[in-house]
Amino acid sequence: MDSKRNEFDVIIIGGGITGAGAARDCAMRGLRVLLVERHDIATGATGRNHGLLHSGARYAVTDRESATECIEENMILRRIAAHCVDETDGLFITLPEDDLSYQARFIESCLAAGIAAEAIDPKDAIRMEPSVNPSLIGAVKVPDGSVDPFRLCAANMLDAKLHGAKVLLYHEVVSFIREGDTILGIEALDHATGLKSKYYASITVNAAGIWGHGIAALAGVNVGMFPAKGSLLIFAHRINSMVINRCRKPANADILVPGDTVCVIGTTSTKIPFEECDGVKVTPDEVDLLISEGAKLAPAIATTRILRAYAGVRPLVSADNDPSGRNISRGIVCLDHEERDGLKGFVTITGGKLMTYRLMDEIVTDTVCRKLGVDKKCTTADEPLPGSEEKSYEQVAKSIWTVPTTVQKASASRMGTRAAEIDLRSNKEQALICECEEVSLGEINAAIDSMEVTNLVDLRRRTRVGMGTCQGELCGCRAAGLLAKATGCTRKAREDLCSFMTERWKGNLPIAWGETLREGEYTQWVYNHVLGL
Amino acid sequence: MKFDVAIIGGGLAGLTAGLSLQKRGLSTVIISAGQNAMHFSSGAFELLSRTPDGMPVDSPLEDIPLLPGDHPYSKIGLPRLTALIDQVPQLFASAGIKLQGHALRNSFRITPTGTLKRAWLALEDVALLPTVETSVGRKVLLVNLAGYPDFFTSFIAEGLEARGSSVRICSLKLPEMETLRTSPSEMRSVNIARVMDTAWKSVVDGVKLHLRGEDTVILPQVFGLKDESVLSLVRGSIPANVLFVGTMPPSVPGIRAQMKQKAAYENAGGTTLMGDTAVSAVLDGGRVVSLRTRNLGDHPVEAGQFILATGGFFSKGLSSTPSRVYETLFSLDVDYDADRNNWYAYDFFTPQPYLDFGVKTDNSFRAVRDGEAIENLRVIGSILGGAHSFKLGCGGGVAILSALAVAEDLSNELK
Repeated sequence: MDSKRNEFDVIIIGGGITGAGAARDCAMRGLRVLLVERHDIATGATGRNHGLLHSGARYAVTDRESATECIEENMILRRIAAHCVDETDGLFITLPEDDLSYQARFIESCLAAGIAAEAIDPKDAIRMEPSVNPSLIGAVKVPDGSVDPFRLCAANMLDAKLHGAKVLLYHEVVSFIREGDTILGIEALDHATGLKSKYYASITVNAAGIWGHGIAALAGVNVGMFPAKGSLLIFAHRINSMVINRCRKPANADILVPGDTVCVIGTTSTKIPFEECDGVKVTPDEVDLLISEGAKLAPAIATTRILRAYAGVRPLVSADNDPSGRNISRGIVCLDHEERDGLKGFVTITGGKLMTYRLMDEIVTDTVCRKLGVDKKCTTADEPLPGSEEKSYEQVAKSIWTVPTTVQKASASRMGTRAAEIDLRSNKEQALICECEEVSLGEINAAIDSMEVTNLVDLRRRTRVGMGTCQGELCGCRAAGLLAKATGCTRKAREDLCSFMTERWKGNLPIAWGETLREGEYTQWVYNHVLGL
Repeated sequence: MKFDVAIIGGGLAGLTAGLSLQKRGLSTVIISAGQNAMHFSSGAFELLSRTPDGMPVDSPLEDIPLLPGDHPYSKIGLPRLTALIDQVPQLFASAGIKLQGHALRNSFRITPTGTLKRAWLALEDVALLPTVETSVGRKVLLVNLAGYPDFFTSFIAEGLEARGSSVRICSLKLPEMETLRTSPSEMRSVNIARVMDTAWKSVVDGVKLHLRGEDTVILPQVFGLKDESVLSLVRGSIPANVLFVGTMPPSVPGIRAQMKQKAAYENAGGTTLMGDTAVSAVLDGGRVVSLRTRNLGDHPVEAGQFILATGGFFSKGLSSTPSRVYETLFSLDVDYDADRNNWYAYDFFTPQPYLDFGVKTDNSFRAVRDGEAIENLRVIGSILGGAHSFKLGCGGGVAILSALAVAEDLSNELK
């Protein structure tokens, strides 16, 4: 065993936004970092939420600390992840059935947390956001926005690698290497080869989201997590240009977020057993609730075609002194298991939310550095992520100005400054593979070449191929053809295409009636009959 | 406007019925929204590819008796079905559509992903093999056009190699296609086919340059959108056996066949209301009296007999809400499961229950509403219940044969 090659300062378990950001922070502070992820990047809660750039207003009344964290991180992400963020602003609306007196308390709490909340005339609110429920009786404008979590995660991962981190995707932790009361490293199973290898580090960080519960158990410690399923719906149009929330205590299905060409309504919240965390399903009841509540925010929801239903699992953590789980926190939890359980070399970072991933990672990296005796300050709040260096889209677009504008804009908005690196020189590379999301051959080739794409679902997370209105009907097959060419294995590409279509269908099935069922029949016809898969 | 028969829907079933009725001397009208399944077709028709138990079918006529009583074939009955089947090649030939294949034994279509699918009949530019084992040739040159993303050469090559051919893939860069390529979404089958009416010569020249003793050349189905004569020009100019394999939709052979059928129907005196949609129907005493269409407004379309050939969900013959599935024009009785949870299978590639939903008919394909048959309304094609066309592989056959059976019945009745 080449022990030197497999020795690191820190091993991070989990390829979601928390793990990716921790890898970036640790690598930027000069540590030798290994990140292991059992699937692809952003397969858990990271890729299964609203994509909301919270202003923190939602938590202002009930959880001041979270609200303050949110607004601070909100402002940081606008700087360091500009190409992942859409600065839409948001509204908190009061409907006739809501208590208007809540509004004053809400604004006061927002201002106290540092959130620029401003009451506006409902008529102005309708002018600013024509899709909003016109029967609103109150409106507050806040600095909400939307953020593409796949892009944000990929950018963190990329930057970690640029700073020397090693990333192993499709590697699952099967056991810990342990000596007495110290964790020395991990043993990981490579799903591509079926081989197990050992990796050593002074500290292992558990950043596996809800699956961190099982990781902790594998290390012999208990972290009291409570899986909470949240279901969401994606609509086929971007019906709103601003985030729309209800101005009341947080409840089900009261946030409508615009993102790229679509919008997302969510979420529900249901406690589920751990066994159900893999493969959560959206139920018809949840779909009905999301539509009826969503239509109260924007009536067009009731008549707009739904593209997909999906669900994620929040890693909620109970306070250590409350094993019943009644006192659940959405706040950041960083556990030094040496202090807490007497287990050396093992740290868990959990709780929190997408918005506060960077802060979570700063906290856990501070802990790791303290334990390793490294004295380096965190710089992740100041250093822009790759793709968000200080150049505007227009400048980037100029560098690829000969490219058709659709391709240019789409690529530049997805990849930020990195779009300049895509090979779009000839009309071959400019050809559109995915028409709904305007993804060019050049962008797909760039992803296959440099973004560790092993299958079509990975490709989707990195490029948005198959995420648009046709749900992969046309581009799935084209992209599979390109992957077959790149990997040289057509059998695998064919199987991969089949699992890609099944994965797409999984999100269509809970909402398959009307136009979606129509599209479903067409896709069946093309793939099962015409293409003969 | 008054006709003997008004046909709602101008797809494969509607046009087949219309052509057959016109040839029998009846006056008909077809109300057609425009595109239909033929535009997205494989270029081949299935008669029966699997038994109800899921076993592959080699001889469709032998296995048709295995179908349940409510299957459209069972309603027609085997002796009559066999006679109708025999009429099909002639009827299509009269429209200028050449078909290959036979109902006695299924042939095998090479699909765009290189697999083989059973077929009863296929258009002339669809590569069809007599058996699963048949090799298309010893040495194959598989040709794509540079920058065309919808022809999957590596998948097709893999399939051919598995059946004993050695395959070389080449890509032709044609000056005639450069204009198309400047726009990122223009490289689609139909656009290319338009260029190929003149650019086929460059393809032939390019293929000849690449040929290294290959006995077979495979090209994408992008030739002869309006006129199939370019197919024989290409075939005649390349010194090898030339085959055509499908691309992503739209389907060039399918569109050509549809246009030819429509032209033949109109030449036989049929009337088409293109780009129009039937929006409502007037019934009186259990009979359909007239239809209103979107374009004709207050002018009704009157007829003695009516045929519903509006297709399934995609063609909008059927539609659905979260709680029910309905027929869109007459609110006919639909055979479906009331619990939405039972409409779907989780695996995309297992038969989806919703695809089996369809309208109920009596044994003469008369539509049923509130349990009562509507005397002068027949139903044909993929909107028919009981066909299980995805599961059994019988969609093309059900469309054509239900159309012919109804046409025969109506002309007997009206004469």
